[in-house]
Amino acid sequence: MLARAKVLLARPLVVASIAILALLAVGEVLSPGFASPRQIVTQLVIAALLGVVAAGQNLVILGGREGIDLSVGSIVSLSAFLAGNLMQQNDANMPLAVVAVLACSFLIGLASGIGVTMLRIPPLVMTLGMLGVVNGALVLLTRGVPSGRAAPLLSQIVSRPVLFDLPGIVFIWIAIGGALALLLRRTTFGINIYAIGANEAAAALAGVPVPRTRALTFALSGLFSGVTGILLLGYTGNVFVGAGDQYMLPSIIAVVIGGTSLAGGNGGYTGTMAGAVFLVELQSILTTLNIPAFGRQIVFGVTLLALMLFYGRQRRLKS
Amino acid sequence: MPAPDAISTPSPEPPRRSPQPGLSRYRRPYLLAAAVLIVLAATNVALEPNFLTFGVAASNLSAFLPLTLAAIGQTYVVLASDIDLSNGAIVSLVNVTAVTIIDGMHGSIGLGLAAGLGVGLAAGAVNGMFVAYLRYQAIVTTFATGVAFSGLALWVLPQAGGQVPASFYTSYAGSYLFVPTVAWILIAASAFAALIARLRFYHSLRAVGGNMQAAFQTGVAVARVRLAAYVISGFFAALSGLALVGETASGDPLIGGGFTLSSITAVVLGGTALSGGVGSVLGSVLGAFILGLISNVIFFAQAPFAWQGLIQGAIILLALSGGVVIARRSGD
Amino acid sequence: MPSLVARGIRKRYGGVVALDGAELTLERGEVHALIGSNGCGKSTLCKIITGAVGADAGELILDGRAVSFAGPADAVAAGIDMFYQELSLIPAMTVAENIYLGREPLTRLGLVDRAALRAQAAAAIAEFGEALGLGVDPDAAVSDLSADQRQIIEILKVLARQARIIIFDEATAALDRHQVGILFEHLTRLRSDGRSIIFISHRIDEVFAIADRVTVMRNGGNVMTRRIAEVTRDEVVTAMVGDTQLTRSEAHHRPRPEPALRVEGLDAGKLAGVSMTLRRGEIVGLGGLHGQGQSDFLRALYGVVPIRSGTIEIGGKAFDPKGPLAAMRQSLAYVSGERTRFGIMAIRPIFENLVLTLLVRDRHVVVARRRLEATISPIIARLALKFSSLAAPASDLSGGNQQKVVIARMLAARPTILLLDDPTKGIDLGAKADLYGIMDDLCAQDVSILLYSTDDKELLSVCDRIVVLNGGRIVAELAGDERTELALYRAAYASGTDASA
Repeated sequence: MLARAKVLLARPLVVASIAILALLAVGEVLSPGFASPRQIVTQLVIAALLGVVAAGQNLVILGGREGIDLSVGSIVSLSAFLAGNLMQQNDANMPLAVVAVLACSFLIGLASGIGVTMLRIPPLVMTLGMLGVVNGALVLLTRGVPSGRAAPLLSQIVSRPVLFDLPGIVFIWIAIGGALALLLRRTTFGINIYAIGANEAAAALAGVPVPRTRALTFALSGLFSGVTGILLLGYTGNVFVGAGDQYMLPSIIAVVIGGTSLAGGNGGYTGTMAGAVFLVELQSILTTLNIPAFGRQIVFGVTLLALMLFYGRQRRLKS
Repeated sequence: MPAPDAISTPSPEPPRRSPQPGLSRYRRPYLLAAAVLIVLAATNVALEPNFLTFGVAASNLSAFLPLTLAAIGQTYVVLASDIDLSNGAIVSLVNVTAVTIIDGMHGSIGLGLAAGLGVGLAAGAVNGMFVAYLRYQAIVTTFATGVAFSGLALWVLPQAGGQVPASFYTSYAGSYLFVPTVAWILIAASAFAALIARLRFYHSLRAVGGNMQAAFQTGVAVARVRLAAYVISGFFAALSGLALVGETASGDPLIGGGFTLSSITAVVLGGTALSGGVGSVLGSVLGAFILGLISNVIFFAQAPFAWQGLIQGAIILLALSGGVVIARRSGD
Repeated sequence: MPSLVARGIRKRYGGVVALDGAELTLERGEVHALIGSNGCGKSTLCKIITGAVGADAGELILDGRAVSFAGPADAVAAGIDMFYQELSLIPAMTVAENIYLGREPLTRLGLVDRAALRAQAAAAIAEFGEALGLGVDPDAAVSDLSADQRQIIEILKVLARQARIIIFDEATAALDRHQVGILFEHLTRLRSDGRSIIFISHRIDEVFAIADRVTVMRNGGNVMTRRIAEVTRDEVVTAMVGDTQLTRSEAHHRPRPEPALRVEGLDAGKLAGVSMTLRRGEIVGLGGLHGQGQSDFLRALYGVVPIRSGTIEIGGKAFDPKGPLAAMRQSLAYVSGERTRFGIMAIRPIFENLVLTLLVRDRHVVVARRRLEATISPIIARLALKFSSLAAPASDLSGGNQQKVVIARMLAARPTILLLDDPTKGIDLGAKADLYGIMDDLCAQDVSILLYSTDDKELLSVCDRIVVLNGGRIVAELAGDERTELALYRAAYASGTDASA
């Protein structure tokens, strides 16, 4: 019995789910109404935004070779801004705006991917540099003044309750989750990503187009950040500068909590989704408890360190 | 293998050797940074002829010093093939701790400085314990501790403020024996780094970063070395936070915000490899200066304010890419 | 009193038993050879003695006292040191820094004495003299040295530590005769100093030249311990291999006259101009000492090593191997013997390991599991692959089965030319026999095979012809009755005057 429990607990998805439920319970006890449907909906919306960013981060990390994307936050901000300014509260502009923003964010990610694969710049460095460039471009475009407004249709799609009082954004997230699961497990591209993360040399010898696959993971990361920017715009209606910065590091944490190793090659998106929900709930509890900002941060950091006890450790040098 | 006595058989062809004696790309990783720095300095002089005057140079050095100190600390961790994403947070924490003690508790300046250093060392030790002994993954761990340290900083001093006695910041901005205080600090830090570079520890550090398994098999105390690197990083981050006290004469819990990523950029610009084992403190100092001069150039070139961020970002990206590419090519 | 006794040592890695009650007794002032075929456990036993690996059971007795090491640092402190087969050098550091790592000479102030470091390194290097060749001075970066130079630096590193017990694990693999001779002088000197040496080598002649006693291991346990003077080479080899006789196929393939592959003046990697023809349905072996270009030859054909000059023809048409994918589309397949580094994706399921090549080469977009499983199941059966489930990670498999998976992956793409790069290294005899059977089957279907092997017996029993390389060129070709161990051995040392195409 204990042995079976141990095996179950070894699956990050299980642990994350248990943790989420535990947090809900604790939250409800400490602050009645915490687990009310309305609150849960709000949390799910925020988790959805984080989750979509984390989807891109997940792909990059799966590809191995210390893959990481630090530019996601800045691309979210840029995309929200561009989308708002292209739409200008006009439904007719929406299709073009969406296509343009997605193309732009995809290309930014692709540029990072090319830097990583062709110039062989370490991902941490490349995306760090790209973060600076994108933020600089954003400052230039906005001149410090946020602008742009969402098309009404977008706001409706994102925020209007569709089913169980859950707004469209949650279902969009679930659809993305489903699509990603399909991509990772049922397409050659997905298997290629796992292969290059698990053993790049073996994958290359087996014929996998390694540079192309890895560059595409970065491009997709940009794309998902672009999607998040558009969704964010739809949710908030307008944009404030630096709106996306808060997603960068949590996106990495969500991926790690979800069971994907930072070394690449194993893990999947469902775990990351649970990780995103968990993180959002954790933040939410801390806010609800009226703990001041500093307390929230400390607890957040300490909780992460505690979690890492299960997921974040590396092999011993001595076996 | 029933063959006649091996010793009497003629020897096989000697395998072809690769004769590349002398200067290896590993031993002078900072050369490129030095070249870039010279170019930048020249550009600075061209744009602002006062650049080389004593006053302007001192003021530039004062502005560059905090990041330079943080970058020095980051170097040791990166040499060990780890990374410290809590660097900036430690800078903030030390900054507010020192100011709070000096100001709020009417404590002496000495006590404030000592407390600041102590906090930095302790923070570094926390990082090191997790990464080296509990074998936590460095990136996420130091991110988590960074969040926690930032929180502590906010707790110690929720709002930027506090006051430091005039004697403190005037002596920080002043000179001793015709040399600016900030220059003395840089000299002292460099001397300290040079001393470390002559210890057995430094060899062990580079070995751990170069090939951790091999270092372990050779009997190097790998965990202890990695812990020490984080403690040193915390120490230099503390120096940086204290320098900021002298610079701004007050405390700010958010002051270290951009330092983490900037210190990493400075380290990479200086030729230190993120994979560990290769690099130097000198390179990181040059890298920090490069970052500072880039800001200067953009400012003095009177680029429109809105463009400055983008131009700076683009230059840094180009510099990072260029540095990595050239370093690789010279070694192949 | 013996200086070291190891008794009843057991160790398993997951499901694989590496050591099953192994024993070793080491006297003072002796060179004790420890031999056995790949996977017999000798390396693991030594890693346990040096504290790099922890034993599951058993005891270590050093100078009469039981000891247990928490790590290599403890063992080093106790006077035990090891030359590691995979080398323990730091590429970015200099020769001097590597030799004295952890024991750098200090000045009176406790700082590293760089001048003394360089001087001591120079003295150590001088002992090997011109056998080391060019480019080795105390300040050279280890990454700039060639393989044999690096090996010697590792030897110097071990010797510098003056341990009482030193283990040399395949320390002569990349060395030429002259360098080996100097090493043996050192070993003799250490022996007269009263130190104990464990000498691991697959070169029986070296063992008989330097050792006092020999212990043979097989399948994780001991088979024999004798004085060298009282035992013959044949007895030792028989003890290593055991009673299982490899089925000698006598190579009854009937190759067709048409060439499947023709190579002219190929210059790539260590290869310095090789010309040969491979006929359909033929197995040609690449022989010679390790590292003479055999591996580079195969990898160049597969598009992994850049070609400097020369031509390749497949089926009569010119072929420029731009990369593995292009090679596969020309029906070439490559299998590396280093399955951990180049073959198996350990954390991925067996299924993915098997179908990867098929998916990529045939441009599948979607993974049609059932259809793919149907395609690979006959191959799985033919290879007698043993596994619990296709969804299990490949790390669950034994070494032999892992290598079968790598081969199965390539076979699924139905290649006509198979490039095998020492594929049976470290595999148990049963799996080896299976693989030889498959190679015979493939030949019967007109598949051509180029086989590089460090195992002479394997080359002799499997190949129709053997082409021997030395210094990147073909120096001999053995066919028919010429295929004897003696001829192979002699040809490996030839100097390339009678190359044949």
